[in-house]
Amino acid sequence: MATHADTLEHPHYHPPGLQHQFEDMKQQEESVAIGMWMFLVQEIMFFGGLFTVYLVFRSKFPMAFAAGSNHLDAFWGGLNTLVLIVSSLTMALTVFYAQKGNRNMQVILIVLTMFFGAVFLGVKAIEYTDKYVHGFVPVAGWNKKIKEDATAGHASATPCWEVDHDAPVVEHPNPRGDFQWTDCSLVAQAVKEQNHDPNGTYLTQAERVGYFASNQIGASTIDVNLIDANKFRDKVQIFFWIYFVMTGLHALHMVIGLGLMTWLLWKAWVRTFSHDYFAPVEMSGLYWHFVDIVWIFLFPLLYLLGRHFMH
Amino acid sequence: MQTQDAINSGITGSPKLNYLTNGFTLKSWLLTKDHKRIAIMYLITVSMFFFAGGLYASAIRLELLTPASDLLESGTYNKVFTQHGVLMIFFFLIPSIPAVLGNFLLPIMIGAKDLALPRINLLSLYIYWIGGALTVYALLQGGVDTGWTFYTPYSTTFSNTYVMAVGLGIFINGFSSILTGLNFIVTVHTMRAPGMTWFRLPLFVWAMYAVSLVMILGTPVIAITILLLALERLVGVGIFDPSIGGDPILFQHLFWFYSHPAVYIMILPGMGVISELISNFSRKKIFGYEFIAFSSIAIAVFGFLVWGHHMFVSGQSIYAGLVFSFLTMVVAVPSAIKMFNWTATLYKGSISFDTPMLYALGFMGLFLIGGLTGLFLGAIGLTVHLTDTYFVVAHFHYVMVGGQVIAYLGGIHYWWPKMTGKMYSEFWGKISAMLVFIGFNLTFFPQFILGYQGMPRRYASYPEEFQVLNIFSTAGASVLGVGLIMPVIYLGHSLLYGRAAGDNPWMLPGLEWRTSSPPPTENFETTPIVTWEAYEFGEESGLDLDEARRRDLAIVS
Amino acid sequence: MQTNSWVPLFPDQASTFAWQVDLLYAYLIIVSIAFTIPIVVAIFYFGLKYREKEKYATPDEMHGSIMLETVWSIIPFVVSMTIFLGGAYVYYNQFRMPDDPAMEVYVVGKQWMWKLQHSTGQREINELHIPVGRKVKLTMTTEDVLHDFSIPAFRTKTDVVPGRYTYLWFEATKAGKYHLFCAEYCGLNHSGMGGFVYVMEQRDFDNWLSGNVSGQTPVEQGRDLFENKLGCASCHAGGPQQRGAKLEGIFGHEVKLVGGGTVIANEEYIRNSILNPSGQVVEGFQPIMPTFKGQVTEEQLVSLVAYIKSLSGVTGTTSTPAPPPAANNAAPTVPPKADRGNTNPQGSNPNAPTANSNR
Repeated sequence: MATHADTLEHPHYHPPGLQHQFEDMKQQEESVAIGMWMFLVQEIMFFGGLFTVYLVFRSKFPMAFAAGSNHLDAFWGGLNTLVLIVSSLTMALTVFYAQKGNRNMQVILIVLTMFFGAVFLGVKAIEYTDKYVHGFVPVAGWNKKIKEDATAGHASATPCWEVDHDAPVVEHPNPRGDFQWTDCSLVAQAVKEQNHDPNGTYLTQAERVGYFASNQIGASTIDVNLIDANKFRDKVQIFFWIYFVMTGLHALHMVIGLGLMTWLLWKAWVRTFSHDYFAPVEMSGLYWHFVDIVWIFLFPLLYLLGRHFMH
Repeated sequence: MQTQDAINSGITGSPKLNYLTNGFTLKSWLLTKDHKRIAIMYLITVSMFFFAGGLYASAIRLELLTPASDLLESGTYNKVFTQHGVLMIFFFLIPSIPAVLGNFLLPIMIGAKDLALPRINLLSLYIYWIGGALTVYALLQGGVDTGWTFYTPYSTTFSNTYVMAVGLGIFINGFSSILTGLNFIVTVHTMRAPGMTWFRLPLFVWAMYAVSLVMILGTPVIAITILLLALERLVGVGIFDPSIGGDPILFQHLFWFYSHPAVYIMILPGMGVISELISNFSRKKIFGYEFIAFSSIAIAVFGFLVWGHHMFVSGQSIYAGLVFSFLTMVVAVPSAIKMFNWTATLYKGSISFDTPMLYALGFMGLFLIGGLTGLFLGAIGLTVHLTDTYFVVAHFHYVMVGGQVIAYLGGIHYWWPKMTGKMYSEFWGKISAMLVFIGFNLTFFPQFILGYQGMPRRYASYPEEFQVLNIFSTAGASVLGVGLIMPVIYLGHSLLYGRAAGDNPWMLPGLEWRTSSPPPTENFETTPIVTWEAYEFGEESGLDLDEARRRDLAIVS
Repeated sequence: MQTNSWVPLFPDQASTFAWQVDLLYAYLIIVSIAFTIPIVVAIFYFGLKYREKEKYATPDEMHGSIMLETVWSIIPFVVSMTIFLGGAYVYYNQFRMPDDPAMEVYVVGKQWMWKLQHSTGQREINELHIPVGRKVKLTMTTEDVLHDFSIPAFRTKTDVVPGRYTYLWFEATKAGKYHLFCAEYCGLNHSGMGGFVYVMEQRDFDNWLSGNVSGQTPVEQGRDLFENKLGCASCHAGGPQQRGAKLEGIFGHEVKLVGGGTVIANEEYIRNSILNPSGQVVEGFQPIMPTFKGQVTEEQLVSLVAYIKSLSGVTGTTSTPAPPPAANNAAPTVPPKADRGNTNPQGSNPNAPTANSNR
C-alpha cells in the first residue's frame, strides 16, 4: 500500500486499520462517525414510523391502550429499563478502556454488557410467555390453548363492564388460542363520568364509535349496556399488536447488538484497539446507546402512560 | 483480485491498468470494493429491470389498443400494470442515476479514491440483488396485483397474490438505497480533494447529496410501513384492518410520506445530470450556481411536506387538503428556478448539439410539461376531477420518463466514453434521442386529454369513445420502444468496435475528465488539488485547447 | 349524452361546478402556455444563435444575477398562488356539503358493483337516477376495499373507505346519461365496476320514481329475507315452542336480557342482534343463534330492520332509512360532527342539519 507515500506527515507510517481509500486516520474516523450517525438517523426514522402509528391509535383509543398497558408488568419493564441503563454505563466504560488500550478491562466490560443484554432478552421472554398464557398475543391461534372443560362452569355471562379489574386474571377457556379480553370496566367508568358531566370529554370521538354496539357520537347520555365487549377487545388487540411489533423490533436490535458485542469481544481479546484505533468500539457503543434510548421511550409509552386511569 | 500496486505501475509509466483490466476473474468483480465496478454491475442489473418493466409496459399498451379486455383478461392486466410499476419504480428509477452514475462518478468528481465506505457500497449492491431476486421470484410464481401503491385493505386482506414476497423484496431493496445515500453523504463530507470546497462541487454532486438526504430520511418509513403490511398479511391481524378498528388511510399517509419524496429521489438526480450537460455543452459556467444547488436542497426538504396531495379525495379533511395544496404550489418554485437558470445558461454560450445535449434539451421540454401539469394536479379543485385518471398517469410519466429516464440516458451517453473508454456512434445516438423524444410525446400527450375526459387509470377495459386517443398512445409507444432499444445496440457495438475516446473527448474541465478513460482503480494517479471553480472553461481551468484541436484534426484525417 | 365529436377535449359539463373546474383548467392551460412558449422560444433562439461556431470556444463568463433570480422566483410564486386560490375556491364548493340537500342517496361499494338506495326506498345497482336542478347528497361506504365514486361529467369524485363514511354532493344541470366509474383500484374487475348516471327532467324522474321501484319496498324485501332467504322464521316465527324470541311488537319496547339488564329494542339493537347475537341475549332464551355477520349485506340489514319494525306497526324506513351504520366494529376517524344525524336515526342530535355540511 505504498500509494500513500505522498501522505506527507508520516511518509512510511501506515497506521493499523487505515483503509486504502483514506488519506489518514482522521479522515477515516470522521467518515465512520458521520456514517454511523447517518445510520442512526435512518433508525430514528424507522422507529419514528412505529411511534407515529402508536400515537395515532393511542389518541383514538386511549382507554383501550390504558387497559392494555395495565396488563403489562411495570415491574419487569422497569427492571429492564434499569438493566439497559447499567449496560449503557458498561458500554461507555468499554470505550473508555479501549481508548486506554486496557485489554482486560475491555474484555470484562464487554462481557458485562453482553450479560445485561442477555438479561434484558430473558426478561422479555418471561413477559412474552406471560402474554402467551393469558391470551394477550394479538394473533388468533398463537396463544396457549386452554380447553373448555379445564374451567368448567366458568360463568361467561358477566357483562364485560362488570369485570373487576383489580381481581387476578383468571384463565378463560381458550380452545383455539384466540386473543382474549373480557374487561371493559374502564369504558363503563368513563361512560358514567361522561353521563355525569356531559360537557367533559371522557370518550374520544373514535371511542364513541369503536367501543359501542351503535354509534354514540353526539349522544347526550350513553347506555352502559351498549358497550360491545368484542369491539373493545379489538381495540385492545391493536394495542397488543403495536406492543409486540415495537418491542419485537427492539429486541431484534438487541440481538444484533449482542452479535456486535461478540465480534468486539474477539477483537478486544486479540488486542486490536488502542489509543490510535478504537472506532469500532465507539461506533458499536453508539449503536448500543441508541437501542437503549429507544427502550427509554418505549417503556413509558407502553407500560406507564394511562395507568392512572386504573387507580 | 485487484491489486493496489496496479496504480503504481501507472505512475511508473508501464502500460496503464484501468479498473476494467485490473483483474478478470468473476471473484475480482463479485468481491470488488471499487465503486466503478459496483456501478457497472448496477448498470447491468438496472438495465435488465428496465427492459423487464418495459415488456410489461408494451403489454399494457397493446391491451389498451381496444376498449375490451381481450388481449389480457383483467386479472392478468392488473398484475401487468402492478409489476410494471414495481419494477420500474423500485428497481429501476430509484437506483438508476444514484447507484449507476452516482456510484461511478461521485468519488471521481470530488477527487476521491473511492466512496468513503466501499464495503457498505458492495453490501448495498448485494441487498439490491437479494431484494430484486425475491421480487422476480414472486413475479415468476404468480405475481402481484395490488398496484405499486399496495393500498390497504386490498393488499392486506383481499388480494390472493404474492403481496408478501414482493413486499419483502421492496423492504430489503429499501436498505440498498439507504446505504447508498448514507455512503454518499459521508463521502461528500469527508472525501473531497484538497481545494474542492462545497461551492466548487459540480451540481451533480449537490443533487446526489440532496437525494441522499431524502433516501436516509424517507426510505426507513416505507420500510416499516411495508413491514407492517407484510406482518399483517402473515398473521391476519393488524393496524390497517378496518374490521377491527384499524385505519386503512393511515397506510396511505405512511406510504406517501416516503413515496412522495421518492418522486424526488427519482427526479433530483436527473436535474443534477441536466445541470452538468447544459453547462458543459454550452461551454459556459452555469447561471446561478448557488440557486440551483440550494433549490435541490429546498426540493428535498419541501418534498417531505406535501405527501397529502396524493390523498385529496381519500376523505381527509378540507383543511388538510388546502394546506397540502398550498405547500405543493410552493414546491413548484424551486423547480421553476432551475428551469430558468438552465435556459439562461444557454445565453451567449457555445452550444454543441452532441447526443447528450439533445437529451438535455429534450429533458427541458418534457420536464416543463411534466412540471406544469403538476400544477394542474396541485390545484385542489381541479385535481378532484383529474386524480386517478390518465391525466395523472401522463403527468408522472412526463416527470419520470421525460425527466428521469431521459436524463439517465443523457448521462449514460455523456459519461460512456469515461466509463468504457470507447466512443459510440454519434449518428445513431442522435437518431435515437430524437425517436425517444417524439415517441414519448406521442405516447403520453394523448393521455392528458384522456384524463381530462375522465378515463380512470388501471382500467383493463374502457368505454369506446376513448379508443382513438389510446391508439395514438400505443402507436407512440412503439416508436418510443424502438428509440429505447437502439442505444443497447449501438452502445454495445461501441464496446467492441468503437474508437478510443481519449481521456477528455469534449475538452471539459470537470475532475472526471482529468483522469484516464477508463479511470484506474483508485481514480487518480495522484490526489488532485483543485484550484478552479466549477464549470470553469477559461484560462484557469488549465485545459490545453490547442492540443485538443490538433487531436481532432488527427482523428478526421 | 356523450358528445359525438371525433376526439372530445372536454367531457360534458353537467353539474353546477363543472364550469368552474373547466375555467380553472383553462386558466392553467393559459398559464402553461405562457411559461412554455417563452422558454421553448428562448431555447431554440439561443440554440441557433449561440450554436458552436468554433470548436472548444470559450464564451465570456457570466455570473448569476440576483435580480433575475428574484424575479423568476417571485413570478412563479405569485402565479402558483393564484392557482392555489382558484383551486381552493372550487374545492370548497365541491366539498362543502349543502345544508339542505333535496335528495339523499346512500351508496355502498362492493367488489365490483355500486349499490345505491334513495332515501325514498328505491334501490339501484350501478345506476343512479336523479332529477335536474336538485342538490343530491351521497353518503357512501364500502363493504370491502377502497373504491372511488367518480362522475367525470360532474367533475367530482370521492374515495369510498371501509369503516367510515365519505360524502359527495352535486347538482346536475343537464339531462343525459353520464359515465359512473370506480376510480380507485379495487381488484380483479375494477374496470367493470361502473355504470351510468341518468339525469332526468323532474317530470321524467317522478315517472321513474312511481314506475320503477324495483317491485319491492324495504319491508317486502325484509320479509322475503326473513321468511325465505335467511330462514329466520324457523326460529323467530313466534310460536310457543320456538327457540328464538318472538319479534312481533317488540320494537321500541324494553327487552329483558339474560343477566338482568334491559335494553330498548331499537334499530341498533336489532341490527346488533343479527350480527352479534350472543352479545345481548333476551331473557329465557339460550345463546344459540349463529351470527349473520358476513352473510347479510348492509342493505339487507336495512331491509330486515325495516321488516322487524313493521311487525310492531312501525314504518320508519320510508322517511329516513338508517344508512348502514358505521361498518361493524368500525372506528371512523371522521371529524367530530361528521356522523351526526346520519348514523343516529333516533335524532338525538340537535345540530344535525349544520353538522352535515362537514365531510
